[in-house]
Amino acid sequence: MSQSNLYQEEHHPSPLQYTWMAFKSNHIAIAGLFCFTFFLVITIFCPLLAPFDPNMQQVGDLLIPPAWDPNGGITHLFGTDALGRDLLSRIIYGCRMTFGISLLLVLVAMLLGVSLGALAGMSKGFRSSFLNHTLDSIQAIPTLLTAIIIIAILGPGLVNSMWAIALALIPQFVHQTRDLVRHELSKEYIMAAKLDGASQLHIFVRSILPNMVEMLVVQATLALSVSILDISALGFLKLGAQAPSSELGAMLLEGIEVAYMAPWTIALPGGALFMMMISINLVGDGLRSALRNRLLHS
Amino acid sequence: MILLDIKNLTLEIDISAGWVKALDKINMVIHEGQIHALVGESGSGKSLIVKAIVGALPHRWRITADRMTWKGQNLLTMSAKSRRRLIRKDISVIFQNPLESLDPLLTLGQQLKEMLPRDKVSKTWFWQRSDEKQSLAIKLLHRVGIKNHQLCLTSYPHQISNDVVQKFMIAMALASEPKLIIADDPTRGMEVTSKTQILNLLNKVNQVKSMSVLFVSHDLLAISNMASYMTVLYCGQTVESGELKQLRKRAFHPYTQALLNSAPSFRKDLPPKSPLSSLDGTIPTLHHLPIGCRLGPRCPRARRDCVVTPQIRRVHTHFYSCHFPLHWDVK
Amino acid sequence: MDLINVEDLTFQNHTKSMWSKSKMTFNLGPISFNFKAGETLAIVGNNSSGKSLLAKLLVGLETPKSGKIYMNGLELNKSNISNRCHDIRMIFQDSNESLNPGLTLGSILEEPLRHNTKLNAQQRKSLIEHTLRQVGLMAEHQFFYRHMLSDGQRQRIALARALILNPKVIVADEPFAALDPSVRSQAVNLLMKLQRDLGLGVIFISHNLGIVRHISDKVIIMRDGKVVESGKTDVIFNWPKDEYTKKLVESHQSLINRQIN
Repeated sequence: MSQSNLYQEEHHPSPLQYTWMAFKSNHIAIAGLFCFTFFLVITIFCPLLAPFDPNMQQVGDLLIPPAWDPNGGITHLFGTDALGRDLLSRIIYGCRMTFGISLLLVLVAMLLGVSLGALAGMSKGFRSSFLNHTLDSIQAIPTLLTAIIIIAILGPGLVNSMWAIALALIPQFVHQTRDLVRHELSKEYIMAAKLDGASQLHIFVRSILPNMVEMLVVQATLALSVSILDISALGFLKLGAQAPSSELGAMLLEGIEVAYMAPWTIALPGGALFMMMISINLVGDGLRSALRNRLLHS
Repeated sequence: MILLDIKNLTLEIDISAGWVKALDKINMVIHEGQIHALVGESGSGKSLIVKAIVGALPHRWRITADRMTWKGQNLLTMSAKSRRRLIRKDISVIFQNPLESLDPLLTLGQQLKEMLPRDKVSKTWFWQRSDEKQSLAIKLLHRVGIKNHQLCLTSYPHQISNDVVQKFMIAMALASEPKLIIADDPTRGMEVTSKTQILNLLNKVNQVKSMSVLFVSHDLLAISNMASYMTVLYCGQTVESGELKQLRKRAFHPYTQALLNSAPSFRKDLPPKSPLSSLDGTIPTLHHLPIGCRLGPRCPRARRDCVVTPQIRRVHTHFYSCHFPLHWDVK
Repeated sequence: MDLINVEDLTFQNHTKSMWSKSKMTFNLGPISFNFKAGETLAIVGNNSSGKSLLAKLLVGLETPKSGKIYMNGLELNKSNISNRCHDIRMIFQDSNESLNPGLTLGSILEEPLRHNTKLNAQQRKSLIEHTLRQVGLMAEHQFFYRHMLSDGQRQRIALARALILNPKVIVADEPFAALDPSVRSQAVNLLMKLQRDLGLGVIFISHNLGIVRHISDKVIIMRDGKVVESGKTDVIFNWPKDEYTKKLVESHQSLINRQIN
């Protein structure tokens, strides 16, 4: 898309370029973005990066400390856990599970939530307000609790916990979308689009969605951090990923039993979780401030 | 007697591209009892001048002036407190959109009584005071032509129609019996009948109480009904000022001429549906102010000399700043 | 033949407030008028006279309770609504609000083309550039966003959006109210030039009687939903019959006559 050069000394950036420039100037957010990309790379290239098979138990190498401890060795960089499994590979696969699954869940929740919210926003009357009020009341319960309730119905397991969390994330998307769609529908340019002969779907996709980007990004980052926490929490409570799968929360649970002898089995997975959360929050925060003035700058 | 004397007022604003001179050497003199019109389009800095007089500009911005005095007192060197006291006593401002300048949570009566100055209320006992304030408020409302004072005083701003609210704003402005009323485009967007009522009211106030009015607008029809003296502003520079009669008969600056030509009601001989004369181009933004005379890029008479800001010249009471004014063609 | 012929149009607007039992109804009409191609019709009236409602009825945003609208002899109703948005286009009052802030101007102008014509992408692009040039902007403006324009330019984009489907009638709701005098004269000249070149019929709503007198051929005066007087411009301005019209014309005349000369 060429930008005009009417005034040589002034460059009118498109909203996307402007967002990127504003984001770039926030150094902390860029650091967060590096972290985020790092985790993304780990998630995608996981089998190439992990030195060992995460489930391979080497009976002779139980509880070896990590490489920086005098008793540890270079073979197992992060040491091994109580069953002799290499901790580095387990953490890499664990990141993939936690991060990758969370991304997937947020995408699914966003798709479903936005479509429901759009339907609710564009229709009038009892249908839409019923949906709105029900979902709003569900939002009052913390997502973890909702997930636990759904697991109580479906039974524990990784797949069930995925369903539970996805369902728990939908209400906030529906609420925000409905609010925004309602707000936009009263604007004059939507009336103009209706006059042009656009159908409801067209109006939503072409006229309202471009104005929704900011809200969607903010909600998606919030939902991502919530879902990572929830997956790990469910894993820790033995309601989600079960042993011997290498999910970070499950690893934390296993590490508790040997915590005094081998603190690295808790510290390292916990540290990985911590870094994930920080990077997502930093990126989300940076995006929020960068997007705030997207359409207003002069 | 000269009430407000402004000479070479310059206001520098801090925008992303650096400091720009939003107001560049403004000159304006308001006499007592005069209706003075300040004409300029959007982006010319009219509201900035109003705010500079009243002292409502952000402190970051730089204001410099050779002279900015009110009845001899220098406004720039005054302390903030004495300036506020002066403004309260002697100057009132009427803003453009009356609903935006009134508190939506208070009734109109409460706001009007708040405006009454303390020394008007002569009774000492507090139960007599509120009665006196009420009667003063009713008198003010009758003066501006609002007959149904009971309804007006007890309602909230959004419940009353727009022109009545604008009259109410004038009543609030009159409450402190100021020497100068600054009216910032009070009749914008109004239909003709209410516009004439407001203009008649301002005229009456000027004649009866000898209050000066600074009428800021770009509606030439309204101005030519009221003002005796006009200052034309373009893009932060005063281009011409003088008596309205003289300007209409013979404008010196090309911009004034173009402005006067742009209203079809002024020219009685215009055939219907013929093109109105207009200047090409648009008003430059703050980021792209031209050097020297700011009308330069649009002016049909511009030549190389126009990159230097022209000096002010005068012919009797008619001031103009142009290198190639219109009356030089005749010679 | 008349371009637009409106017969006995009425509309009823119910506003029911929850707390009071009474319903406030606003009755519009019956309204009848007609005008030919190339003519300009002005609608004048006070704020609650129903002018904007009439504009919406003409364009098709609201359905009338009774009455018919004919265009070139063809009756406009729900069945040929697509015809309608092709041939009668609207310019809204607030040019800032009527443009979508999240879309480029090119996308805003492309919308009507996508829904109403069968042109391919290349043809759409060249038509957009042609229309931008027609209203006095440049082809590069299609990549701009709403916040990068001045209000005169936004008015031109609104005009371009109305013109891009080659309509027969343009309905403009107070198009010049928010503009400065010099920009206003440019906009008025542009509208008149396009009317001459393309043979458009223009219906516009305005408060500014000077402009109304200058560019309109016929005038309708409305008050509280009823047509108080209608006819040719110079007849109404020189010999007003109705009380309300007399008051309006007299106030306008007094402003002109009383100028300090």
